[in-house]
Amino acid sequence: MLQTRERPKPVVLPAYCKGCGRCVSACPQHCITLGTEINPESGLIPVEIDLEKCNGCGLCFAACPEPYGLTAYDPLMDLDESYLKFPDEDSSTAPVPQEISGETLPLPPVEPLMIKGTYAAAIGALLAGCRHFFGYPITPSTEGAELMAKLLPNLNGVFVQAVSEVATVNMMYGCGGAGMPCMTFTSSPGFSLMLEGVSYMIGAEVPGVFINIMRGGPGLGNIGPEQADIKLACRGLGHGNTHAIVLTPDSPQEMLDLTMLAFELTFKYRNPVVLLGDGYLGQITGKVKLPERMIKPGIPSWGVYGDDMHRRNLICSIQLSEPDLEIHNLHLNEKYQRIIESEQRADCFHCDDADTLIIAANTPARMAKGAVQVLRDRGVKAGLFRPITLWPFPIDILAPLLPKLRQIVIVEASNGQLEDELRLALSHAEIIDVPPISHVRHFGGVLPQQQEIIDRVLETIDTEVTS
Amino acid sequence: MADNPAVDQKSAKANFASDQDVRWCPGCGDYAILAQMKKVLPEIGVPREKVVFISGIGCASRFPYYINSYGFHTIHGRAPAVATGVKLANPELSVWIITGDGDSLSIGGNHLLHLCRRNLNVNIILFNNQIYGLTKGQYSPTSPVGKRTKTTPYGSLDTPFNPMSLVLGAGASFVARTIDRDTKHMAATFKRAAAHKGCSFVEVYQNCIIFNDGAFQSVTDPKIKQENLLYLEDGRELVYGADNDKGIRLEGLKLEAAALNGPESRNGLLKHQETMPDEAYTYLLSKMTERPDLPTPIGVFRALERPTYDEVFMQQIDDVTQKKGKGNLKELFITGNTWKVD
Repeated sequence: MLQTRERPKPVVLPAYCKGCGRCVSACPQHCITLGTEINPESGLIPVEIDLEKCNGCGLCFAACPEPYGLTAYDPLMDLDESYLKFPDEDSSTAPVPQEISGETLPLPPVEPLMIKGTYAAAIGALLAGCRHFFGYPITPSTEGAELMAKLLPNLNGVFVQAVSEVATVNMMYGCGGAGMPCMTFTSSPGFSLMLEGVSYMIGAEVPGVFINIMRGGPGLGNIGPEQADIKLACRGLGHGNTHAIVLTPDSPQEMLDLTMLAFELTFKYRNPVVLLGDGYLGQITGKVKLPERMIKPGIPSWGVYGDDMHRRNLICSIQLSEPDLEIHNLHLNEKYQRIIESEQRADCFHCDDADTLIIAANTPARMAKGAVQVLRDRGVKAGLFRPITLWPFPIDILAPLLPKLRQIVIVEASNGQLEDELRLALSHAEIIDVPPISHVRHFGGVLPQQQEIIDRVLETIDTEVTS
Repeated sequence: MADNPAVDQKSAKANFASDQDVRWCPGCGDYAILAQMKKVLPEIGVPREKVVFISGIGCASRFPYYINSYGFHTIHGRAPAVATGVKLANPELSVWIITGDGDSLSIGGNHLLHLCRRNLNVNIILFNNQIYGLTKGQYSPTSPVGKRTKTTPYGSLDTPFNPMSLVLGAGASFVARTIDRDTKHMAATFKRAAAHKGCSFVEVYQNCIIFNDGAFQSVTDPKIKQENLLYLEDGRELVYGADNDKGIRLEGLKLEAAALNGPESRNGLLKHQETMPDEAYTYLLSKMTERPDLPTPIGVFRALERPTYDEVFMQQIDDVTQKKGKGNLKELFITGNTWKVD
């Protein structure tokens, strides 16, 4: 007996049909028309089919660009509601991403090293578990990158000389998004170029350590030491509501210690960390003791790591819904507040009984320390307050010192950017009773000298005595 | 802009010398380029005050200090963008972009391509030394695979850019190569570039004596260079060698070197054509440096006139003005959805 197999007729799956109408023109029998009702699942208007004249030619299946928009009816198809709707996201079988914790390993004791600041930071990064370096040559920071290029390949690490700082920061965005500790060395003009990416990293909560060996600006400026990126790092990290912890070392030892701390903080808060050195600090050689422990990093639960467990993770900084973006910003603000409350750091030198307080960071703090010693020998109760975090400014450590003070002298290699941070911090803390503030400033690669700091302090005291 | 015999060569050259101390390393190939530029500039028929040199960042980019004309030392890789601004603001100027392999092919790759694509009537001189000299010896986008530098201590993995292929692909209308050691050839090439209407791109093989000495030895060493250099001349067969005893043929889609012995052997030799509208031939020429069995072509690869960006830009302004009349700001403010509230 002759048997014919009946050709299947089309069925529209309304939740998937976008109503593009390609099937409408494909159907020779004119069975399909553009729909009129919005599908609540998709928010789109699916086509409508009248099967009365359908001969099962199948041209409409071929015309449909959607994988499930319009398909051949199969009696085995379960056309109940669950098939016609989008899959329920909660029913996904993907496992919930878990953190794979890192380890702290003992480091065998070794003799202290005599190394330059950028080398110290590079070694600090390696001991903090960083095995991914991206960067672009720029004086006076390049030696740090060069050391990484030499050391990383046989530590199972990655070194990439990118084609620019713009490429660098986006490589860091990718690597940090994968949950891996990564870093760069750069200098002021290069850091300017990275700011777009930094803003995205902050928005997407991606960690990364930026070591900016600041040089003279603005523009191309020169390659001498300056502290002219304090404003940029503390107040101007790209567009939007951005902040990052800003660390300021004053010696090769601190270049190592604070780089290690930077890696700890960048993962603790899922936020980039900026370490600001200056041209001298990058280049000077000093004794550097290695820590007793080093870090073997784990994988954070949010990392796009490429294993089955982390496959749900998505890194992005876009939130198109206005209320959602506000909630995200409130979350960032809450994070910034936690940082302000718990991460203020400063070094106080002879501050306890000081009535004259010098405030300085980076290399100028070294001159200021010398000045304090000379002033103490002359009977002046001078002290040095050295912020180690510029953002958050260590106002909680400074505030108790203020009542005893007769004067504050800010010493910096910039046009008052450190002073601005101090004044903002005082203002936010609503501290009104502040002693007179004067300053010693230099620019363009010129550093403040010890003698001019001493002169500035004595000048104010003399004025007080005569009046 | 032919040679002007009336110009007193010596004094004209001095005319373009600036009062700055030249701060390149002793023995740098840049000196030769500077000397030829100062020689050529008086001959192109453009007065000193109509000449602008624009550079990015790198050793080469110090060039504008050393020429007594208008100069811009700009941002890393952005000289082509700055030059676009200058040329469109004042199309009468003779604009020269001085750049290096790091400046124009890494961070500035994007700007370079779009300058060529638009065919802005400017000249680009790319000093290619295959290294980052100013930051003291890191590999550049033209450094060969395996090159050991401070940031590639175990050898570079990057496939280098071929600058000529790149700019040809981007549609540059004038493409040439010259060598710092061949000063006569360099001067002639610069003159041709200046005379060309449109975007003129010149690659100069330039020796970095400190960080990459001898990178172009095969084409500069007098003992071997004749066997490795192919001088391109419009309408002349692609023949090279100390005794002109070798030539280039097209075999299928590949160039092949052929030994020339007797008149018949010259059959089928390629003849150089600067104005070939199809890029395929010029592209094959550009790829010759990647073939160890072929010589390095120098000279003008391509010189093809097509409308320049500044020209069509100004034309459009004229056309719109003609069609819509001269714009009047006061009228513009009160056109469209504007109304008066009493």
